Amino acid sequence: MGNSKHLGLFLLAPAGIFVILFFLAPVVLTGVFGFTNMSTATGITGGSYMVSESAMRPLRSRFGEDALADQLSKRIYTIDEEGLQAAAEAGGDAAALTELRSNFFNESFGNRREVETAIKSLNARPSTTRGIKIISAQFVKSVINVRFDTFEELLTSIADFGIELSDDQIEALADVTYTGWTFTLQNFKTMVELPDTRKTLINTLFYVFTTLILFNTGFALVLSISTHYMPTGPAGFFRSIWLLPRVTPPVLYVLMWKWLAWDTGFLSVILEPMGFAPRNWMLDSPTNAWVFIILINGIVGASMGMLIFSSAIKAIPASLFHASEVDGATRRQQIWHIILPQLRWPILFITIYQTLSLLTSFEYILLATDGGPGGATEVWALSTYLKALQNYGGALQYGYGAALSLVLVVIGISVSLIYLKLFDFKNLTAPPKIE
Amino acid sequence: MSGNYRTWPTLVFLSVLTAPLILMYSYLFVDTITNTPPGSVIPNEFTLEHWRFLTETIPGRPSIWLATWNTFVFATVTMVIVLMVSSSAGYALSRLQLPARSFFLGGIMVLHAFPTVTLLIAIFLILQMLGLYNSLAGVILVKTALELPFGIWIMKGFYDTVPWEIEMAGIQDGATRFQVWTKLVLPQVKPAILALGIFSFLSGWSEFILPLVLAPDNNVQVLSVYLAALIADDQNFDMALFKSVGVFYVIPVIVLFVFFQNRLMNIYSGGTKG
Repeated sequence: MGNSKHLGLFLLAPAGIFVILFFLAPVVLTGVFGFTNMSTATGITGGSYMVSESAMRPLRSRFGEDALADQLSKRIYTIDEEGLQAAAEAGGDAAALTELRSNFFNESFGNRREVETAIKSLNARPSTTRGIKIISAQFVKSVINVRFDTFEELLTSIADFGIELSDDQIEALADVTYTGWTFTLQNFKTMVELPDTRKTLINTLFYVFTTLILFNTGFALVLSISTHYMPTGPAGFFRSIWLLPRVTPPVLYVLMWKWLAWDTGFLSVILEPMGFAPRNWMLDSPTNAWVFIILINGIVGASMGMLIFSSAIKAIPASLFHASEVDGATRRQQIWHIILPQLRWPILFITIYQTLSLLTSFEYILLATDGGPGGATEVWALSTYLKALQNYGGALQYGYGAALSLVLVVIGISVSLIYLKLFDFKNLTAPPKIE
Repeated sequence: MSGNYRTWPTLVFLSVLTAPLILMYSYLFVDTITNTPPGSVIPNEFTLEHWRFLTETIPGRPSIWLATWNTFVFATVTMVIVLMVSSSAGYALSRLQLPARSFFLGGIMVLHAFPTVTLLIAIFLILQMLGLYNSLAGVILVKTALELPFGIWIMKGFYDTVPWEIEMAGIQDGATRFQVWTKLVLPQVKPAILALGIFSFLSGWSEFILPLVLAPDNNVQVLSVYLAALIADDQNFDMALFKSVGVFYVIPVIVLFVFFQNRLMNIYSGGTKG
């Protein structure tokens, strides 16, 4: 049976490829990207080199190279072969161009007015201003806003431009003109410094623990224990109903809550006769937004606890209940002394599991309030998404978003390992019996 | 159970709690085929106008049928790959001698508990680099990969319950391990394959975040993204239309839920995200 080892690896290989490509690689890359300044501005592949306005600003402020920045920002006009040819192609007057070559070849002018004065001084000068402008436009030389694939190309072009650079200046230029992403610790500094981070953190803790205690375990216990004390028919009916929110696609599930809360929705219509002005109940105040967010997530979360607790209660021998009833136990005593002790492990399981998923999932919040009103319901996971993947205001900050998710990834891995330790790993890895 | 206690207080208690949920779901369906006058919650006429999106494309949106087809392809292909890969990997982990077997098992369990949505940004960038951004293929691969730890875990659990004697007998009769797996063991776990298949299909059908981030373009849009875009458009607010599109979208889910409810309950309690 020596081939079972190979067969095993063969059967495992496809899963391995998927896991490496879309699990391990993203975990590692989240770590890498978190230490970069990657954004839509830098692109995600390698960058290029460009002398631009935004590159000149740090050259002045960080390196104090004002003179160099001025020189680089200048446009000059040089009468050369290239320009003459371009002018001929653009429809410049042929006689004027010949004269321009013989009189001014290889001469440079500091600005466009000077070169146009030179053209006007020609005997064969074009009769219209437009004719002059067509010619003058062709001789402009500038390194500004030209994209170079390598730094060497940029240096050659600067040398052609007639600027000599010291080694320090070359280093400074390489730094400021690079348009691609670079490695940096800035993301983590920003994270610590921004007051938003604190607020998001507090929001996250509040959201996770409130939802977890009230619904994912609390309400789940209520559901499973109350259906336990019911005939099978109604018990099954209630469990199905409470499973619906989990089965309903999130977009539709949240839509139903929006219908309830909209300013022309159910709540507004029902409450209007009682003197409450119609309003968007979900978004009109941070408190209301939280109530809805916790209800929306909690009801979905409760169904999982309900199923797991119900099956754990079902596993309790019925004789235990009968015996306690004969001894005159009340229902409360049954719950306290028989059911709850039996649910210790399931409750621990649900708590760990749901803490992780509440901490990291943001789907329902994104759909319901999108973090609003005014960032009041923005939790950590949602803010990674908003920073990196949906930013109406400006550039998408992939690097910063990745740094924020890195925090969650680290928590995720640690908690998963704890989970592995707690839930009886040895049993799961009993060796195969057939070998 | 427990004939000594009265059941009706519990029934009343739970009915009160459940009523709002039932109300929301009832109105979801009722509102798609009726009109309700403003300021009232009682519909006053029957209409099919909210369903006009089936025949006429809403301006600026892809056709609903294209979105439905995309969703179907997305959910089905994901399901097929998840089934193939998890049934083979689950068998290997459950029954075959592997180098570093406990490492693989631990790895799968950690991945199963690990919140994959935190990897979204890295995955987005990987797909961009691979050129699979805005393609169904890319989002299918990602969804499959994220479903796999769960699938493998479930399949391994089911394989563990198949009696060893079946395999021993097969080996005695001269079958190879591979033949034993395909001919003897796979038929034993048919219910598991069915349950996992339905679960993966539903999970793909409902998926929102992945297609939203990885394949948002009109020509590869799935129904969840289509519906979310419709709702997010403030210029054309029409709750009855949203609900009708939503009901159209949820029909396959309801059908599968009604027919396979018990199997799904089993698999949901096996632990899913959320």
